[in-house]
Amino acid sequence: MEVQKEAQRIMTLSVWKMYHSRMQRGGLRLHRSLQLSLVMRSARELYLSAKVDAHESEPPLPPALSPDPRLHPPREAHAAAEAAAPDGEQPFPEPMDTQEAPRAEETPARCAPRPAKVSRKRRSSSLSDSGDAGLVPSKKARLEEAAAEEGLSSELRDRLQPPPAQAEGAFPNLARVLQRRFSGLLNCTPAAPPTAPPACEAKPACRPADSMLNVLVRAVVAF
Amino acid sequence: MKEGKGAGGGNDIQWCFSQVKGAVDDDVAEADIISTVEFNHSGELLATGDKGGRVVIFQQEQENKIQSHSRGEYNVYSTFQSHEPEFDYLKSLEIEEKINKIRWLPQKNAAQFLLSTNDKTIKLWKISERDKRPEGYNLKEEDGRYRDPTTVTTLRVPVFRPMDLMVEASPRRIFANAHTYHINSISINSDYETYLSADDLRINLWHLEITDRSFNIVDIKPANMEELTEVITAAEFHPNSCNTFVYSSSKGTIRLCDMRASALCDRHSKLFEEPEDPSNRSFFSEIISSISDVKFSHSGRYMMTRDYLSVKIWDLNMENRPVETYQVHEYLRSKLCSLYENDCIFDKFECCWNGSDSVVMTGSYNNFFRMFDRNTKRDITLEASRENNKPRTVLKPRKVCASGKRKKDEISVDSLDFNKKILHTAWHPKENIIAVATTNNLYIFQDKVN
Repeated sequence: MEVQKEAQRIMTLSVWKMYHSRMQRGGLRLHRSLQLSLVMRSARELYLSAKVDAHESEPPLPPALSPDPRLHPPREAHAAAEAAAPDGEQPFPEPMDTQEAPRAEETPARCAPRPAKVSRKRRSSSLSDSGDAGLVPSKKARLEEAAAEEGLSSELRDRLQPPPAQAEGAFPNLARVLQRRFSGLLNCTPAAPPTAPPACEAKPACRPADSMLNVLVRAVVAF
Repeated sequence: MKEGKGAGGGNDIQWCFSQVKGAVDDDVAEADIISTVEFNHSGELLATGDKGGRVVIFQQEQENKIQSHSRGEYNVYSTFQSHEPEFDYLKSLEIEEKINKIRWLPQKNAAQFLLSTNDKTIKLWKISERDKRPEGYNLKEEDGRYRDPTTVTTLRVPVFRPMDLMVEASPRRIFANAHTYHINSISINSDYETYLSADDLRINLWHLEITDRSFNIVDIKPANMEELTEVITAAEFHPNSCNTFVYSSSKGTIRLCDMRASALCDRHSKLFEEPEDPSNRSFFSEIISSISDVKFSHSGRYMMTRDYLSVKIWDLNMENRPVETYQVHEYLRSKLCSLYENDCIFDKFECCWNGSDSVVMTGSYNNFFRMFDRNTKRDITLEASRENNKPRTVLKPRKVCASGKRKKDEISVDSLDFNKKILHTAWHPKENIIAVATTNNLYIFQDKVN
């Protein structure tokens, strides 16, 4: 339990640092973002392993709760990622860059006109395949299967089968806990901007199908 | 027990306070935070760069050697604004004017040249002296106004007359728009014609005369950024082989590349990596193994790397482990969580060699800096503080008490001031003179001269 709490604390702290680093002069630093995401991943692994040890038979969550976060598409965070993503990939300041093609592939996925929830569902479908189905509510799984049947680009499909290290997802419990703790943390920090950012940052955390790592990686990519 | 000049061991030397530059008050203006320190090739000039984009160059006084009690003092020679804050409208991002690195070119004529860089743009500056001016023009008055030619009755030859020394800095080249990510290193090649600049994912090769293009020689950007696992943290050319350079990564590896092998040096010639000690594995292991600085020895036979807790010396002929490892502040290993909370774990410490490659130096917290003598295997911890500010005061060695009973004069880990960090140090290329930068002050120490 102590381990879990500590891991949670570090995860929350890391997300806060990640957010804060976007506000500083000079913009997001790639190295710093990478380091923060590494700590996040270690904390999450620690949290998950502690959780599995402690709560072998946790009752499944009431299904009503799970679709809610997805129905509040985090337009702000997504828009921010969209706005930032093409910027990081722009050929304009890069005369020497030769990787035009992959960039063109990446950005449409991020600026996708399709609703955000579809891509999130896709990601979680691979998560449920990875054997953690016991902790994912059944209703969510049904929605994911529906999404899986839609024809999506192969590029997006590729992104949904990431290397094993990144394939694990955050669980609804974790996401909700983070959302609760994180917005609490931001609200009581005097230095943090008052209204918009907590809402903005809480949303990525509360997307149940998304892994925290993917959120962070997206922020890293967005840079 | 005095050793020869430049060959002194770190501990047989008695280090004395010489000078301190910078504001006295504790309220540090952010623009004054020193971000880089570099001696030129002769050691006569010492350049500092700060967060406000300014470069200050100090020059050593040429002392009367017969009567000198100490080596010449360093006084301000030139100050100029190297970089200004810029705004990238495309990304809606401000580009900081902070000077990340300064590198001197070897002197070829009367003028001095240096490269200074911020996150995005490298500039070549010419620093030249003017100590005479022409006087006695026929058609111009002394103030520059033109004379009416009809009033000229006699002719004279203009002559140069001495004037007060004026040191001018002018930007001769601006190397811009070649880096998407933040520049962390620049290094001048031993051919003195080319140099490299490195950002988080790419390294570019430039010619000093050509500003509108550069060659990309290393690119570690993955096709899918979600697969990004490591970034470039530092890069340096070999001091003698103009085809060889190294770059370090956030994963604690160093790659040596040979530009003769291929145009794009994505495949390394050598990979230097030490297997991780499983007993030291912790939550933050990955991030403290990130290398913050890499420096070749003057001989070119060795290179030194600095990670968060240690300094490692590598023999270029041995890739599987360093030949020497020095613990800078091992007592911090149990405090990594707190250091993560206060962001200190991300501090990027630099390191440097002395002129004879026998001693290495690096900074720590509480305004402490450390020297390791490679021959005697002894180390010393000294403090840069205004308390010992009488010239020729010998610095007292410091000791940090890791745990248990604190002896007299020792400092416990918990009372270290983590806001007082020494990230940048430099060693004179020929003599035992060191420049140590605290947050906003520059300390100069020398060995005791009898």
